[in-house]
Amino acid sequence: MREITLSQAVNEALAEEMRRDDTVFIIGEDVAEAGTPFKVLSGLVEEFGTERVLDTPIAEPGFMGIAVGAAMTGTRPVVDLMFGDFIYLVMDQLCNQAAKTHYMSGGKLNVPLVLRTNLGATRRSAAQHSQSLHALVAHIPGLKVALPSSAFEAKGLMKTAIRDDNPVVIFEDKLMYNDKAAVPEEEYLIPFGEAKVLREGSDITLIGTSSMVQVCQKAAELLSAQGISAEVIDPRTIVPLDEATLLGSAKKTSRVIVVDEGHQSFGITGEIASRINEKAFYHLDAPVLRMGAMDVPVPFSPALEDLTVPTPEGVVANARKLVAGEMLHAA
Amino acid sequence: MPHEVIMPALGMAQDTGLIVAWHKSPGDTVNIGDVLFEVETDKATMEVEAQSEGFITQIRHYAGDDVPVGEVIAVIDESTEAVHTDETPTGTSAPAVEVPKGAEVIMPALGMAQDTGVIVAWHKAPGDPVTASDILFEVETDKATMEVEAGRDGYVAALLVEAGEEAPVGDAIAVIAAEKPANAVQLSRHVQSAAAAKPAEMPEARPESTQDAAPTKIAEPAIVAEGSKILASPKARRLAQKQGLDLNRLVKAGVPQPFHVSDLETLKALPDEKTASATATLHISARADAHGFAAFADRLAEKGAATGVVWAAFAAASLRATEANGGIVVRLENPLLGQSALFNDPDQTPLSAVAPCEAGAPRIILRDLTASRITGLSLTCGDTPVLTVTRDAKGYHLALDFTETQLPGDAAIRLIEGVAARLDEPSRHLL
Amino acid sequence: MSRAKKKHNAEDYLRMYRQMVRIRTFEDNANQLYLSAKMPGLTHMYSGEEAVAVGICEALRPTDRITSTHRGHGHCVAKGAEFKQMFCELLGKEEGYCRGKGGSMHIADQSNGNLGANAIVGGSMGIATGSAFSAKMLGRNEVTVCFFGDGATAQGLLYEVMNMAALWKLPVIYACENNGYSEYTRTAEIAAGSITARAEAFGIEAHKVDGQDVLAVNELTRKLVERCRKGEGPFFMELETYRYHGHHVGDINREYYRSKEEERDWKENRDPIIRFRAWLAAEGIATEDEIEAMNAEIKDDAAAAVEYALNAKYPAASEVDMHVFTDVKHVMA
Repeated sequence: MREITLSQAVNEALAEEMRRDDTVFIIGEDVAEAGTPFKVLSGLVEEFGTERVLDTPIAEPGFMGIAVGAAMTGTRPVVDLMFGDFIYLVMDQLCNQAAKTHYMSGGKLNVPLVLRTNLGATRRSAAQHSQSLHALVAHIPGLKVALPSSAFEAKGLMKTAIRDDNPVVIFEDKLMYNDKAAVPEEEYLIPFGEAKVLREGSDITLIGTSSMVQVCQKAAELLSAQGISAEVIDPRTIVPLDEATLLGSAKKTSRVIVVDEGHQSFGITGEIASRINEKAFYHLDAPVLRMGAMDVPVPFSPALEDLTVPTPEGVVANARKLVAGEMLHAA
Repeated sequence: MPHEVIMPALGMAQDTGLIVAWHKSPGDTVNIGDVLFEVETDKATMEVEAQSEGFITQIRHYAGDDVPVGEVIAVIDESTEAVHTDETPTGTSAPAVEVPKGAEVIMPALGMAQDTGVIVAWHKAPGDPVTASDILFEVETDKATMEVEAGRDGYVAALLVEAGEEAPVGDAIAVIAAEKPANAVQLSRHVQSAAAAKPAEMPEARPESTQDAAPTKIAEPAIVAEGSKILASPKARRLAQKQGLDLNRLVKAGVPQPFHVSDLETLKALPDEKTASATATLHISARADAHGFAAFADRLAEKGAATGVVWAAFAAASLRATEANGGIVVRLENPLLGQSALFNDPDQTPLSAVAPCEAGAPRIILRDLTASRITGLSLTCGDTPVLTVTRDAKGYHLALDFTETQLPGDAAIRLIEGVAARLDEPSRHLL
Repeated sequence: MSRAKKKHNAEDYLRMYRQMVRIRTFEDNANQLYLSAKMPGLTHMYSGEEAVAVGICEALRPTDRITSTHRGHGHCVAKGAEFKQMFCELLGKEEGYCRGKGGSMHIADQSNGNLGANAIVGGSMGIATGSAFSAKMLGRNEVTVCFFGDGATAQGLLYEVMNMAALWKLPVIYACENNGYSEYTRTAEIAAGSITARAEAFGIEAHKVDGQDVLAVNELTRKLVERCRKGEGPFFMELETYRYHGHHVGDINREYYRSKEEERDWKENRDPIIRFRAWLAAEGIATEDEIEAMNAEIKDDAAAAVEYALNAKYPAASEVDMHVFTDVKHVMA
C-alpha cells in the first residue's frame, strides 16, 4: 500500500469531502494560498476557490462564531485554528454556542461543524504554541473529540467528522505532519467511539492517544525484549469513548498505564483511569497509572521541554514496576 | 373573576416580602397601575401596582407581615359584594371565619437562625381563660422544644395554627381577648393559605438505570485482617476469595505486601494449616508390670512363639478393639538389630502359628527397644502410629507416637491402654 | 410618526399593531408568572421596545433569520411564535419551543427562522454573521438580522464579525437596540464615541432610527433588507428605545441609575403602542372599538395560553440526557 504523510492524509480527506458535498467549506487564518503554516491545506484553494477556502482576518472568536452560525443554517464548515493554544480564544463560541445549541433548542437546531487544530510539545515553541488542550473541550457535553495517531487515522477520522451532525474537534499532533503511514487509495471512514487494539499483550495494557500511541508502541517493543507482553490501544476518539474495549483489555491484563500529552492533572489520563477503576476494579492487580504532560507551562529550552512529556523509556520503567508488583506510592 | 394579588418575587434570592404599607383598603376601587402596597425585600422597598381593576374585596396580610413569595395577600373583585373589612391580619380565605378581636400571640424567635417554629401542642383550648404565666403552647425549633407562656391575662379567643403545623417567626398564632369571646375559634394555617394555584406535577426523580438499581451485594472478600489491613491488589483479593485462600497466611509467612495475583501461587504452596495441625505428632506413654508377661512368655516360648509375635498380636487386638475395621498389618521393628517383619492380623491366629507375611501396609508399627538402655522416647511418627516398648527394672514402658489423622485421641488412649493391660495380664488375651 | 405609504395595506398596519400588543401582553403575563413565583428562573422584559422587534420582523420573510438576546420574548413573538409554546417554554414544560430546555433566555421558534436567544451578551453576533454567510454561499437570498443591545457593543466579537461581514459583503443587518442602559449602567458611561460610527469604520452603512416608531423602523428595515438581497449588505441600525422594566424582573430598585420621572416620560409620551394606536385611529384604519376588541382578544389568548402552560406536562425525566448529540439518544445510557 502507498504511504503518505499525515498532512497529505488530512488534505485528501478535506478534498474528498469537499468534492462530495458542496456545503463543506474551510475557514481560518491563512488557509487559502498559504495553505496554513504547516502546509496541510496546500492546493485546496486552487481546486475549490476562495469561496470555499476562506482566509479570515486574525480574529478567532469572529470566524469561529461565523462558522457556528453557518453550520446552523445549512453548511458544514471546517474551522482551521492554527494552533491548539488559540482554543482559549474561541471558547465562548465553541462551548457556550456550538456545544449547547442542539440541547438548548430541544433538538431542533444542529451544528455540524469541525474544528481542526493541533496539539503537541517538543517543537521548541514555548508555552503558547505547544499545549495539548483536548481535555478542555472533552469536558464540555455536546462536543466530540477525535485524536488521530497516524496518517491513516487522520484521514478516516476527518471524513467521519465532516459528515457528523455535531460539533467535532480534531486535534492533530503538529509533530506528526510529516510522519508517513500506509493509507489506502480507496475511500474509508473510521467510526467514532471504536478504539483500535494495535498490539495484543497479556501482562499490561498501554492506552495512548495521538502521538502517545507511538510512545506506547515503542514502549511495548522494549518491554517485549524484557519478557513483558504489553497490549497497546488507541481510543481514537475520547468523546465518544470506547469504554468496552478499554475495560476488556484492563480485565485481561490487570494492569494499565494511560498515556496522553495533555497535562496530567484533571485530564484525559485521569478520566480514563477513573473509568477503569470504577468498572474493572476487581480485575486490577495494580493501580491504573496516569502518564500525562508535566503540570508546568511548556518551557522553551530543549533541555527542559523534553522532560515534560511522556517517553517510551518512562512508560517502560513504570510498566516494569507495575508488573513486578512494586508499590508505586508507598503510604 | 376575582384576581388574587400575590406576594411578588422581586429579588434574585428572595423568599418573603415584608409589607410596609397598604395604599388601598377593603372596598376601595382600583385601576390597573394603581399602587396597591409597598413591599420591602432585602434589597429595597418597592411599590406594587395592581394588575387588574375592580374593588379590593379582601386583604389577607397587613403592614408588618412578612409574607412568603407566591402567597395571596389580597383579592381584587369585579364587585364589592365580597368585601371583607375584617381587620385581623390572619389571612382567612373564603369562606371566612371570623376571628375574634384581641391581642396577638406571635410565633417567637427562639433560635439564632430560626425562621419558623412548629406548634407541638396547645395547652389551652379556644375559650379557655389564661393568665400571663400560664403555659399557652409548646413550640419546637430545630434545636429544642420549649414551653411558651401566654404573656397576658384573658381568654383564648383564637388559635390560628393547629398543633403539628409550622408558622413563620413573627406570625400571629393565637389571639387573647380581655373578655370571654362568644365565638372562640381554632384555625389551621392550611385553611388560611390554600388559595395558591396548584402547579403541574413535577416529574418524578429520574429512575436509576437498572444496572444501578438495587445495589447487588458485591462478592468482595471479607478477608479478616488480623491486626492490621492487608495490602493486596483488587484482583488478588477477588481471586483469593473465590478460591478460598486466606491472605493472612501470606502475612504470617512473611511474604512482603502488597500482594498480587502472583503471590497467590505462593499462598497455595504453603502447607495447609489444618493438615499441619492434623499431622502434628502426639504422644501417649504407659507402664506395665513385667512379671505377668515373663511367665506367659516362657510358656509360649515352649510352644515356639516369639515374644515379639505376641506383642504384635497384642497390638493388633488392642487396635481392633478401638473399632478399627478391616485387616490389620503390624510391623515389628527392632532398630538396634536392624530387623523388621510384617504380620497380617496376628491376633486372629493361634499365637504359635503366627508367621510373618510378605507385604502389606502396616496400620501400626511396634518398635521393640526392650533390649536397649533407652527408657523413654517421643519421636515423630511417619505415616503410621508407632508403639515403642522399652523396659527398665520396674517393668515395661509403652510410648505411642501418632497423629490425629491416623488415630483419634480417644482411640489412641484405648490402644495403648489395651496393650498395657495385656502385658500386665497376658492370660486375658487368650480369653 | 411616519406617513402611511400606499403600498402598505390596512392589514399590514393592523398586524403590526397586533404583534406589538401581543408582545406587551405576553410580557405582562410573564411578569405576573414570575412575580407570583409560578415561573422558575429569571426573565428580562421586552416591554417598551415592541416597535423595534415588530418593525424589523414585519419586514422579513419567515425564511429570513434572526438571532435574539436574553431580552428575547419580543423577537420571538415578532418572528411568528405562538403563545402556547412560548408560555410552556417559560414554565419549563415539554411542549415549549425548546422542550423546556431553554427557558426564557433561550426561547425561540426555530421553524420561523429564529436561531435562538443568546444569554451571552453579544454571543450571537458570530452566529448571525455565519447565517448570512451560508445564505450567500448557498445562494439562498435570505437576510439575517442580528438583534443585540447597546451593552453588547462593548464586546470585541462585534468588531471581528462586522469586519468580515463587510469584507465578504454578507446579507446581515446588525440591529442595535439602544435602550439606554447596559444592564444597570447608563450606556453613556460604557460606550465612548458614536455607536453608528463603529460600523461606519468598517465601511458599513449605518442608520439611527426612532425605535418607538414602528413605521419608521419598518420602513428603514424594508429598504435595507431589499438592498441586502441585492448584495449590498451588511447594514447597521441603531434603534433608540427604552425598556420599561429593570434589567431583569428582580431589578426593582432602579433609582441609582435612572429616575422614575424618566421612566414615566417614556411610558406616557413615547410608548410605541399608544402612538401607533392613535395613528391607526387618526388614519381611519381601525376604530377605537375594533382596537379594544383586538386588545381583548389578545388578552384572552394569552390568559388561555398561560392556563394551558400551567397545566401542561413537564418533560419526562428521561429527557434530561437527550439532545446532547444528534446521533445519541441518551448520552448517559
